[in-house]
Amino acid sequence: MTVPRVGEVNARARPISPARRWWRARPSDWMVRAASVLAVLGIWELFGPLLNPIILRPPSQIFRAFVDLIANGELGVAMVQSMRVFGAGLAIALAAGITLGIVSGRSRVVYNVLDPWISALYSVPSVALVPLIAVAFQYSGDAPRVATVVLFAIFPILINTQQGVRNVDPGLLEVARAFNTSERRLWGDVIVPAAMPFIFTGIRLAIGRALIGMIVAEFLVGLAGLGYLIIVYQNTFRIDKMFVPVIVVAAFGIALMGLVQFVESRVAPWTRREQ
Amino acid sequence: MNRIVVESATKRFGSGVLTVFEGLGLAVRDKETLCILGPSGCGKTTLLRCMHGLAHLDGGRIVIDDLEVRAPRRNVAMVFQHFGLMPWKRVSENVAYGVELAGLPRTTIDERVGRYTEMVGLTGFERSYPYQLSGGMQQRAGLARALALEPDILLMDEPFGSLDAQTREILQDELLRIYQQQPRTMVFITHSIEEAIALGDRIVVLTARPARVRDTILVDIPRPRTVASVVAHPRFVELRDHCWRLLRERLVA
Repeated sequence: MTVPRVGEVNARARPISPARRWWRARPSDWMVRAASVLAVLGIWELFGPLLNPIILRPPSQIFRAFVDLIANGELGVAMVQSMRVFGAGLAIALAAGITLGIVSGRSRVVYNVLDPWISALYSVPSVALVPLIAVAFQYSGDAPRVATVVLFAIFPILINTQQGVRNVDPGLLEVARAFNTSERRLWGDVIVPAAMPFIFTGIRLAIGRALIGMIVAEFLVGLAGLGYLIIVYQNTFRIDKMFVPVIVVAAFGIALMGLVQFVESRVAPWTRREQ
Repeated sequence: MNRIVVESATKRFGSGVLTVFEGLGLAVRDKETLCILGPSGCGKTTLLRCMHGLAHLDGGRIVIDDLEVRAPRRNVAMVFQHFGLMPWKRVSENVAYGVELAGLPRTTIDERVGRYTEMVGLTGFERSYPYQLSGGMQQRAGLARALALEPDILLMDEPFGSLDAQTREILQDELLRIYQQQPRTMVFITHSIEEAIALGDRIVVLTARPARVRDTILVDIPRPRTVASVVAHPRFVELRDHCWRLLRERLVA
């Protein structure tokens, strides 16, 4: 007779994470990766100049544009504007998403109150709601852009947290009851730790979507930030400078994902086995 | 002296459609190991959950120390078939779980965690997470968690059922040794006849669903025991055949 153990039940309930575990790569993997990047950059550098400079510029020119934009302070200003919006929006989304996720995961009433709104808002492509946000916040200051980031980021974290709380192993809940666990200790000892892998998956998804929200808001709502730089240099046919904020956003996203994985390995080391 | 008395207990599932057991009665004496033996799915685990107040009867009653069982008590501890360790707690934290909830002072908790981790042979693994341990070691931790409460009564729900044969025998010997050190009242659920004879002072054989007590067998093999000494004892084969006949009657019928 095979009996599923507690850990195995958890492993099966774990959501599929889109993020790969980079530090698991072997040295040979890294060499292939580096070769791939270098090969593409090399081909780009060699054959790029053959194309119309309005369409594409080679990496060396993009690098020069990078240095220019740092030197004249444009990039720094845009980054500060973007990070302010991104940070505020993601913080609000995480705080609200995790709180609502935990409460709605444990309370049937709250779940039913929220569910139609979550389903409706999550089904609509978030971009379609950005003009509405712009009007609601009257195009002024950071507020509409922060609200856009929140709109993009809140659903994955809310839904993942909710699923994590709802999927707590009933065997462990019974163990907690058998040892006379109080409701307060039940949260700290069982429910929140059990939901932790789900919460971290939600955070990773939320970061990706928050970056999209940030750029979209800067395209559509405010004249600020990295997204605005992209639009400005696209309109002035400076493709080399246009690439700079794109690369910055990409690097920022990768760094943040790595940071989250590092934090997860520290905060929730027991999830290491599930890879 | 009886510690646990089950009187005409009845439990139904699915709003009364499925009768798990009906009119079931038994008693557990002080400091004895009572093994409850029955075919798979006959409601042994449900009965044990009712004894701990984790599930409620639809008829009859269960009394521990002259008080009817309604909720889990501090002087009763349970060991689970699925081990039930918290994956996010280290071995020492899992062992400490029950005593911490009992609100004992920190020095007592540390002292008990040390003592019972050693008693189950997990010294050196205090800082490991459950996923780093084998199944047998995980159940040693589950056993230490229950023992650390120093309960008057231990309820064991097929604790070795999911372990391989060698590990199971090693843990059976450990349990016999621990009993020898600290005899306590124990109810042990199993579907293994050999396990019931090795560990039990008495064996209650249940029928298939709806479960009733088919017979109660006295295991007249003296302690201290080991699994090997029990199997080698001349009474072992007779007892095993007796249990087997009782179980088979219903399976064939």
